[in-house]
Amino acid sequence: MKHASVDRLEKSLSVTLEEMLASPHAFEPAVFSEQDVERTGMSNYSYWRSTFIAFRKRTFAMFLLCLVLTILVFTFVQPHLPGQYDPVLVNNNEMGLPLKNQQPNETFLMGTNNIGQDIWARLWAGTRTSLTIGISVAVIEAIIGIFIGVLWGYIRKLDFILTEAYNVLDNIPTTLVLILVSFIMRPGMQTIIFALSLTGWIGMARFIRNQIIIIRDRDYNIASRCLGTGAFRIILRNLLPYLVSVIMLRMALSIPGAIGSEVFVTYIGLGLPATIPSLGNLINTGRSLMMSPNLRYQLIYPTILLSIVTISFYVIGNAFSDAADPKNHT
Amino acid sequence: MFLYLVKRLLRSVITLFIILTVVFVLVRQMPISGYFPNYEKMSEAQIKNGLHEMKLDLPMHEQLFYFYKDLLTKGDLGMSRIYRNNVPVAEILAPKIPISIKLGSLSLLVALLFGLPLGVIMARNKGKFLDQLGTGYIVVIEAVPAAVYYLFIQLFGTELLGMPLINSPGTFTTSGNTAAWILPVLSMSLGNTAYYAMWIRRYVVDESRKDYVTLARMKGMSSGKILSRHVFRNAFVPMIQYIPTSFLNTVIGSIYIESLYGVPGMGGLLVDVVKRQDNAMVLGIVLLYACVGIIGLIFGDILMVTLDPRISLTKRGGNR
Amino acid sequence: MRDIILSIQNLNVKFSLRGKTLHAIRDVSLDVYRAESLAIVGESGSGKSVLNKNLVGLLDPNGRIDSGDILYYKKASSASRTTDESVRAESCVNLARLKKEKDWLPIRGREICMIPQDPMTSLNPLKTIGAQLYETVKLHHGMNARQTKEACLSILNDVRIDLPEKRYYQYPHELSGGMRQRIAIAIAIACRPRILICDEPTTALDVTIQAQVLTLLKEIKDKYHLTILFITHDLGVVANIAERVAVMYAGDIVEIGTVDDIFYTPAHPYTWALLSSLPQLCSRGEPLLAIKGTPPSLFKEIQGDPFALRNPNALNIDHMFMPPYYKISDTHQARSWLLDPRAPKVSMPAVIDKIKHLGGTADAV
Repeated sequence: MKHASVDRLEKSLSVTLEEMLASPHAFEPAVFSEQDVERTGMSNYSYWRSTFIAFRKRTFAMFLLCLVLTILVFTFVQPHLPGQYDPVLVNNNEMGLPLKNQQPNETFLMGTNNIGQDIWARLWAGTRTSLTIGISVAVIEAIIGIFIGVLWGYIRKLDFILTEAYNVLDNIPTTLVLILVSFIMRPGMQTIIFALSLTGWIGMARFIRNQIIIIRDRDYNIASRCLGTGAFRIILRNLLPYLVSVIMLRMALSIPGAIGSEVFVTYIGLGLPATIPSLGNLINTGRSLMMSPNLRYQLIYPTILLSIVTISFYVIGNAFSDAADPKNHT
Repeated sequence: MFLYLVKRLLRSVITLFIILTVVFVLVRQMPISGYFPNYEKMSEAQIKNGLHEMKLDLPMHEQLFYFYKDLLTKGDLGMSRIYRNNVPVAEILAPKIPISIKLGSLSLLVALLFGLPLGVIMARNKGKFLDQLGTGYIVVIEAVPAAVYYLFIQLFGTELLGMPLINSPGTFTTSGNTAAWILPVLSMSLGNTAYYAMWIRRYVVDESRKDYVTLARMKGMSSGKILSRHVFRNAFVPMIQYIPTSFLNTVIGSIYIESLYGVPGMGGLLVDVVKRQDNAMVLGIVLLYACVGIIGLIFGDILMVTLDPRISLTKRGGNR
Repeated sequence: MRDIILSIQNLNVKFSLRGKTLHAIRDVSLDVYRAESLAIVGESGSGKSVLNKNLVGLLDPNGRIDSGDILYYKKASSASRTTDESVRAESCVNLARLKKEKDWLPIRGREICMIPQDPMTSLNPLKTIGAQLYETVKLHHGMNARQTKEACLSILNDVRIDLPEKRYYQYPHELSGGMRQRIAIAIAIACRPRILICDEPTTALDVTIQAQVLTLLKEIKDKYHLTILFITHDLGVVANIAERVAVMYAGDIVEIGTVDDIFYTPAHPYTWALLSSLPQLCSRGEPLLAIKGTPPSLFKEIQGDPFALRNPNALNIDHMFMPPYYKISDTHQARSWLLDPRAPKVSMPAVIDKIKHLGGTADAV
């Protein structure tokens, strides 16, 4: 038997209404195919593929993503390129005097700073530091936040205690925690990552908790529970995949936040020691020199790079969360 | 309502207590050099004597007890040792508070005055040029660390207005010398402006889609009237919950801005005493800032209750 | 010849969605008579809501009227048939040509009003019932404050709100769903419209409340001489309140007739399928009949009868050409090749006969 739709296609090519009406077959019953019926409303939809397609359409975000990836790769490649200076080496001239505040030239692509270190090298080393801080904080925050948020949202007995704890913790200005922890602990990468992670997870946990409470009692999860699926499996299979996009959005947004906090802590004198170049360190050094207009390049280069990185993460995060929303899928 | 307020205050007091205790204990972990202006030159006995005088040799819980006793009975925050030797912290802070309040409230006001209309305009032109322009502003302000754009405003703003980069002491007072306040207030309001614009835009867009707006349009009401009589108010109520956060933002901003422009408020002072490791001062300022944050939270809650009839505070939940 | 208040002529509505065009209303023509109650039934996505949004200018921004007219006759349509241009222009408005909000303002409310679907969200939660009603009355009738309030209270009375004085000062969240729906109706009739569109007026309500609201709508229809358009997928509502029924499928009206026409002598296979799936007709032990498949995607050009694929009785021609309307009686017409004299005789499913036995009238459905 011929498939009904093929049959139809063949016929439809040239026939006019008059011809059709004249045809003896016009009013014969057509083949009714159950398969065809079901096919009318079906489409082959894949969530992640659609997300990817939707994201790819956002050319600006896509461009920034490539840019950030390039920057990230370059921070690791840069020290191994020929003719690069050590970021902490104080460069001296033939007489053994430091080459201080050299304007950008052929030897020093972006000039030197007030003690004669190569700004180009420091810039990339600093970006590496700042990105490390940002990504570490985002990952730690996500791990702690998801863990506590899932417990908080899924185990009803914990809800009261954790909510009360949240009410207290959330009232503490994070900046103060940041300042205090940096004040008490020895300045360094670990301190900054620790201080930022200390407060960052709270928001993530709260967010996960709210989302879990919303979807926990959706019918499909109740059905799943009734069928005897264990809590762990429900969380892993039914709840978390649903939250992947929002978790990634929050992670993307906490990276610029962490990078900014590093700049802030460094400004108030609690940041990384000068031996570890970071964007905060560079900007802070640049700031102290901004009184003299011809030295402003020392402030401007790091701020431009920092702005590119932070804006990129922000825009990519938002574009991704839009793309991950099934409402924006075709 | 009254009962709610009592509960709310009680919770805030507990919060404050926890914050203070934690901060107190943490600060006590600091090297003891932070208590003596000329630590290096002091002998063992002198140090021991000094510690005893400050009750620092007592066990932690006793120290804590004395700290709260002094704070609650005398309003005593202890003595500054390094920033200014043997001057009560409260005495140092007192004149600085009004200046910080002026800076903070002016910037909040400016943020509301610019942020709300900006957000409404963006919502009404959703997807069009004005909206994209506003979104661009929000993205830059939200993504770029304040620490960075504050610098540029200072750098180019002072040039533009022909003002000194570093202000001489006595520039910022609670009255007069308006021009000097422009840049600090403006810089500080930028973050909150973006924040308000972003949220009011989102809420106006959300509210505009609701059925009650459809019904209002069905009545034959013009969209201008619907905006002013229905949408704006309804969009503003959930906005209130962001007021506490903007208080906290203001705290962060003020620490940085005050120190940048040399505004003699608490924020600049905090940076100063942190750098100089004056433990008692740090504790005192943190206490004040925590209070500001918590007052902001309570303030936001009360506003929310007065504006939204659905939230009943005496009963649990309320019918949303 | 009955007096026409609204005449939709060859209306085509299209939406641009993610770079594609969705043809939501496909060449629909429909006459609505003054003071009748007409139900438009169809499953979700059949275009019934879109059709009605056009009548009040609330089409979503990505939608547009591609072609066609919507003629609204303020006065008896005989007046618009005069040769006097000015009389005609004044009494007849082509709603399909109104673009700006300013043009719509005099139509919305005072001529055509629509009650949103969900009473839980159709009132502003932050304003008292009184304030919302007051604002409406004030907008349309220039009265002083005391008169306005009295008018409000009398309308509340009309929609059978008990203790109107008390309700006046309450907020929406303090009232039940049924009560809120009455308030929404009160706000709508406070505008004194000629046409009232009810979008799924009972879907969000309890069954017991549904009947009350329908009774109320019947009452106010008589009291205020309203023409009522119901959009619904609930055939119970249709049987209960409508005088005429239009069945929509895939953006087109496939069958239109009086309630009796549609329930007792349905002619279109889709209507058959719709009626057969009524739970009331199902015998114990037999599976409930459901229509197989889903409506066709309106993104694509549809060839032939849009229901053909799901129709077990489809003819060859159904797959290729759109059938014309066949007139069954003065009040009843349907779009199906099965009604063509050349078509094989296909009788409607036997199960539909049971409707007659459910009770003397369609009311029992």
